[in-house]
Amino acid sequence: MAKKSLQQKSVVWSVVSVTTNRSTAMTENNKYWRGIEDQSNPELSEKLAQNEFSNEISQADFLGNDELAESSTSRRDFLKFMGFSTAAATLAACEAPIVESIPYVVKPDSLTPGIANYYASSFYDGYDFASVLVKTREGRPIKIEPNKDAGYNGATNARVQASVLSLYDGARMHHPMVDGAATSWGEAVAKAQSLLTANSVVLTRTVISPALKTAIAKLGLRHVSVDAVSQSNRADVYEVLTGVRALPTIELAKARLVFAVGADFLGDWGGENLNGAYAAARKPGSDMLRHIQAESGLSLSGANADVRIKAKVSEYESVLAHVYNKVASAAGVATVSAPALREDIKLSVENVANELIAAGSGALVMNGLNSASAEKLAAKTNELLASAALNTSKLDFTATGSDSDFAALLEDIKSGAVTSVMTFDTNVLHFSTAMASLADKVSLISIADRLDETASKAVVALPMSHYLEAWSDAIPVSGVYTVGQPTISPLFDSKSAVEILNTLAGGSESAIDLIKASASAQQSSKGWNALLHDGFAEVSAEAVSSGMIDMTGVAVSAPLKGLEFYTYTKAGMGAGNNANNPWTYELPDPVTRLSWDNYIVMSAADAVAFGVEVKAQSNGSMNGTTINITVDGTTLENVPVWIQPGQTQGSIGLAVGYGRTEAGKVGNNVGVNANALLAPAVNYAEAAVAASEVEHGFASVQLAHTMMGRKIVNEINLPTFLSGNAKEWNEKPTFESYKGPLTSFEANLWDDQDHETSHMWNMSIDLNSCTGCGACVVACSLENNVPVVGKDEVRRHRDMHWLRIDRYYSSDMTKEVAEEEGVGAIEKYAKMEVPSESPSVVFQPVMCQHCNHAPCETVCPVGATVHSREGLNHMAYNRCIGTRYCANNCPYKVRRFNWFNYQVNDKFTDVNPSQDDYGRMVLNPDVTVRARGVIEKCSLCIQRIQMGKLEAKKDGRQLTDGEFTTACAQACGSGAIVFGDVNNPKSEVSHLKQEDRAYHLLEEVGTQPSIFYQTKVRNRA
Amino acid sequence: MHYESPVRNPLILGDKSYSDITNDIAKPVESKAPRSWWIAFSIAFVMFLWGVGCILYTIGTGIGVWGLNKTIDWAWDITNFVWWVGIGHAGTLISAVLLLFRQKWRMAINRSAEAMTIFSVIQAGLFPLIHMGRIWMAYWVMPIPNQYGTLWVNFNSPLLWDVFAISTYLTVSTVFWYVGLIPDFAMIRDRAINPIQKHIYKLLSFGWGGKAKHWQRFEEVSLVLAGLATPLVLSVHTIVSMDFATSVIPGWHTTIFPPYFVAGAIFSGFAMVQTLLLIVRKIFKMEDYINIEHIEMMNIVIMVTGSIVGVAYITELFIAWYSGVEYEQYAFLNRATGPYWWAYWAMMSCNVFSPQFMWSKKLRTNLVFTFIISIVVNIGMWFERFVIIVTSLHRDYLPSSWSMFSPTFVDIGIFVGTIGFFFVLFLLYARTFPVIAQAELKTILKSSGENFKKHHDEHGAH
Repeated sequence: MAKKSLQQKSVVWSVVSVTTNRSTAMTENNKYWRGIEDQSNPELSEKLAQNEFSNEISQADFLGNDELAESSTSRRDFLKFMGFSTAAATLAACEAPIVESIPYVVKPDSLTPGIANYYASSFYDGYDFASVLVKTREGRPIKIEPNKDAGYNGATNARVQASVLSLYDGARMHHPMVDGAATSWGEAVAKAQSLLTANSVVLTRTVISPALKTAIAKLGLRHVSVDAVSQSNRADVYEVLTGVRALPTIELAKARLVFAVGADFLGDWGGENLNGAYAAARKPGSDMLRHIQAESGLSLSGANADVRIKAKVSEYESVLAHVYNKVASAAGVATVSAPALREDIKLSVENVANELIAAGSGALVMNGLNSASAEKLAAKTNELLASAALNTSKLDFTATGSDSDFAALLEDIKSGAVTSVMTFDTNVLHFSTAMASLADKVSLISIADRLDETASKAVVALPMSHYLEAWSDAIPVSGVYTVGQPTISPLFDSKSAVEILNTLAGGSESAIDLIKASASAQQSSKGWNALLHDGFAEVSAEAVSSGMIDMTGVAVSAPLKGLEFYTYTKAGMGAGNNANNPWTYELPDPVTRLSWDNYIVMSAADAVAFGVEVKAQSNGSMNGTTINITVDGTTLENVPVWIQPGQTQGSIGLAVGYGRTEAGKVGNNVGVNANALLAPAVNYAEAAVAASEVEHGFASVQLAHTMMGRKIVNEINLPTFLSGNAKEWNEKPTFESYKGPLTSFEANLWDDQDHETSHMWNMSIDLNSCTGCGACVVACSLENNVPVVGKDEVRRHRDMHWLRIDRYYSSDMTKEVAEEEGVGAIEKYAKMEVPSESPSVVFQPVMCQHCNHAPCETVCPVGATVHSREGLNHMAYNRCIGTRYCANNCPYKVRRFNWFNYQVNDKFTDVNPSQDDYGRMVLNPDVTVRARGVIEKCSLCIQRIQMGKLEAKKDGRQLTDGEFTTACAQACGSGAIVFGDVNNPKSEVSHLKQEDRAYHLLEEVGTQPSIFYQTKVRNRA
Repeated sequence: MHYESPVRNPLILGDKSYSDITNDIAKPVESKAPRSWWIAFSIAFVMFLWGVGCILYTIGTGIGVWGLNKTIDWAWDITNFVWWVGIGHAGTLISAVLLLFRQKWRMAINRSAEAMTIFSVIQAGLFPLIHMGRIWMAYWVMPIPNQYGTLWVNFNSPLLWDVFAISTYLTVSTVFWYVGLIPDFAMIRDRAINPIQKHIYKLLSFGWGGKAKHWQRFEEVSLVLAGLATPLVLSVHTIVSMDFATSVIPGWHTTIFPPYFVAGAIFSGFAMVQTLLLIVRKIFKMEDYINIEHIEMMNIVIMVTGSIVGVAYITELFIAWYSGVEYEQYAFLNRATGPYWWAYWAMMSCNVFSPQFMWSKKLRTNLVFTFIISIVVNIGMWFERFVIIVTSLHRDYLPSSWSMFSPTFVDIGIFVGTIGFFFVLFLLYARTFPVIAQAELKTILKSSGENFKKHHDEHGAH
């Protein structure tokens, strides 16, 4: 049988090979019959194989449906319908550009999915200016980086870092609005134009854009600019002096001694970012800058100062006058009459004056009071001292609004001379109660990003594109021209500001043409492409006349006897432009460490007098008393009070930018509007305070405020640093052993990994450079998709920040004092918890320390957190089962647990951007969004490390130092954070590790961290 | 018959014969449940359901429904875990260690003590599970071969040791308990009239025939299991203590923890046995079997272990001072004088001071007083774990991260739920299982029974 079939098979094979055109190779595959039919009837099987369909279906059967034949729809009708639908679909497609996100059919040359593109741009919102690089992924801007090559303010503060999220804010205006209804641009512009008459006024924040100025000029209307945080009276002084309305710039590198009165220059007072220059000037050494601050509330600058004098805002002028008088008498110039100073600060102020005289041209007096007299006193003092640091020829234009113009406008509205006002990017009805009360007397046209307090009252509201969607330009400072370019198509039906204003003025140019025209008018050396690439160009500076400060009209007002009320800006909120941005709220204030609120800051002595208390609750949250404050007949009710160490007695402050009602779901009804009591133009006013029954819950991230005598922030004074032995002032903990005393690195029981051959990532954090500004915290949240958890969760101490900036106050009780006075341990520690009334303040950024002997790694039952040879402590989210043992065993308490499903849980809908279709777009695609129930923590931006390593590998080269860095280090304007490979002897971080000031946090625990700190040095004896 | 010195007090009171013992012990199983049982069961069941609800809410929503925060990542969950594990210890100690030491007074209480062990270990085992952020991944703590190649559990982690310790403990305790139950189930089977009941007990008693060979095997297995269980008495709580002792947190990182935890566990376990048996003997009228002699013995154990725990507390304080470690010193100072001083002093007064009353014979033989102290001790031992966990965590190295803890209704609900669950199990047990190991008890009737002792006294040894 077997033999027979073999023979037959060969027959079949020959048939197949003859009857088909298949290749021999294929026929050879056909060695077996597929069935008995193959053998018995090869012709039929062949035929079957060639026919696609085994049975023919007759067309008649297929189409011969009787019902179909009876249908009234003929074939002709069908073709008509089809033709119509195709035409309609084509027309519909023509109507609007496709906005859906679709995969690329033809990939743009410049864009590779997975690879970020960076575009130079500039940020200006009437308060902050920054030259930035916008990181985009697949066409979405997801991160703002500082443009460190830029000519001016190539640094990003917390607000600028957070600004990218405002792009994806669903509360922005989606369409032009007329009378509260959405409409088209054509109609809205026509309506606006019909409202604009010859006596209309354009009311704006400070405008620094030449293109915008041209467009506004083209309107031919009266232009008034007013700022939410006013520097108007200061600008007036320099307008007279230089002929240009602007503020002087400051070159801290040329200063040896800075005396700032109420000037929070580290909190970006005046628009110029001085953090970098300040940190550079304060590098410990014999020429270290000394900083003395006189102020009422504890500001960032005051917290960093070497000496701080507590003066009420109403005393600023007298402080400046006394310093001036001393300097003037030394220089033989006429003095001014000034009220006597308080006894307790008199001597300190006198000492300051002497120091200033001694420092001569190295001295600099800064004034933060919006007062011409104060500014003149400061400026004249600088002039007499020939201060080198004050530059009155290079001018800063970022805060030039005029309070007097605005006051005149209000008068004209009141008198009926002005009947329509067009606001541009200013929420004037929020910060000016005077304007708000007159809003009914004018027709408002509002160019704004959202229907805010002003735009919602406007007849016509025109949506302005976010700066990341718009073309813009700016001259922030003499001689520097910057452009801002769109990095994404407008998400909503909005247009670039410059295009809107130009269209209203009758122009028809597109935004890019307007900016191009403006750029060519600047006659910069760079061509358009180079300008766009760099984001800035040098241009010829505006001519400035020089002269002497004229002291006529200087009147020093007498300090308030009663309780004074003033307003200030917070690091997160600034002037209030990011009012619907959750990161702005979640970022704890660097000084108070409170998030999500504004509150009265009050001294402990006043708190006792007014019966105010702030108490920790059983769950660690803080609750406090509220008060009703009355200023000039206006009362703000139930304002929470925070008892602030370092606050001057008799002076209470409230941050501006809060109390919004039309900002959006995040910002509405958070805090109170400080400007309801005090207009931006006014510095302070007498306040009456009454107790209120309502209790307020604070969102405090820090419960204990002192270091309890522990060496956490190592802090020394300059003379110690200069003369002392580093082994004494930066003593390393040692352990007694049979080998003699060993450091925690030598006393080792571990089988260590090889940390020598490959990279070893380390980070140096210079506590002397860190000003506590919080830019790194926001940058980290952005880079690493850190969830926003909202006020209630922050109150419960469940903030998710991977990087926090601890703030400690000094205490009057120290170990030395206790020993001297014979205070017992219990009393000593109880008193150590109480901050001093005039504390020294230190900031310490703390993130995962990437311990090489990590306590977290040994305790995880499933090995979800493990160590790398490169010195990193990895966290495998997917492996984590959430026992939280690692978080308990972390001496630095940097591990964060996902208590809820922040991406879905209803509790976080209003605050967490990742619950919003727009907000989700800001998520960094390189970083996993963590699930509920897992631990997360700082990874030292592992995604950046891996990217950098891969790039180098692709190029077949060694990594170079500084090729990439972590988000925090990149955002740090003062260069306090340096990241790199310590195994690379050329790296900056390897040098820093050898510094005398370097130490590890809690070195005695033996964790051997990869992060190390540099001792803080205060320039005082 | 084994002779026992007349100095020793009788362990079985009343004029009991073998059949009296059988009748007395089978009575709760054979008779209808009293009203008080139904009331107690209803309350326990409601508590249990409330706990189930809270657990489901936690699993559905997230651990965030508890009062934990970024600093205090364990609080009531692990407090309850350690507390329940500790309570369990007395059962094993009584049945295993006292068996090896031939302490005959254990025979009246070992069955219930072991039942308590198993039920409390069940409660304890719940907490490590539900405290996980992702309970659905709980099986990852088992060293199960997987598709991820070399992915394995971390044998360095005390939590992993816990997994093995607790599961071993639960298994051995259950087997040991069950083996002891076989002759007693057989006794009920033989007396059962209801065919269903008879059938069930028939299955449960594994065909026990009471033959000499059966008894011999029974004795052998009991002895082997007692030998296996004895090291567990020490190992389980030692390992639980290592969850803390191997960490770097001041207040946790203490070498005294293993013996201190074991003593504390026995201490709390005996207190719980007291609480339960004082109720059981009253309700089921078993005063003759669980008599003042037993109560007193257990009170002495409570007094001794309470004092050991007290010495441990003082030693901790001394070592903190003596070590010269700043963080350690502050941790203990903070315990006693910080924001949680009340928890510390509650612990001190309940655990160290209250058992000292037991030095007085009058007090340790007073049932009401004993009952109160037994409750007080368990409150104290709960506070001990709370103090260790929360006060150590809430103020550790960096003051910037210091925090406070306050339980939410869910924290409380789950704890209450486990108490309910425990009593649901215990009450069901008391109605369906012979609560006293009658087979064992009968072996000492002729030596330690009151009437036989009296008989000896009257008629001499022979």
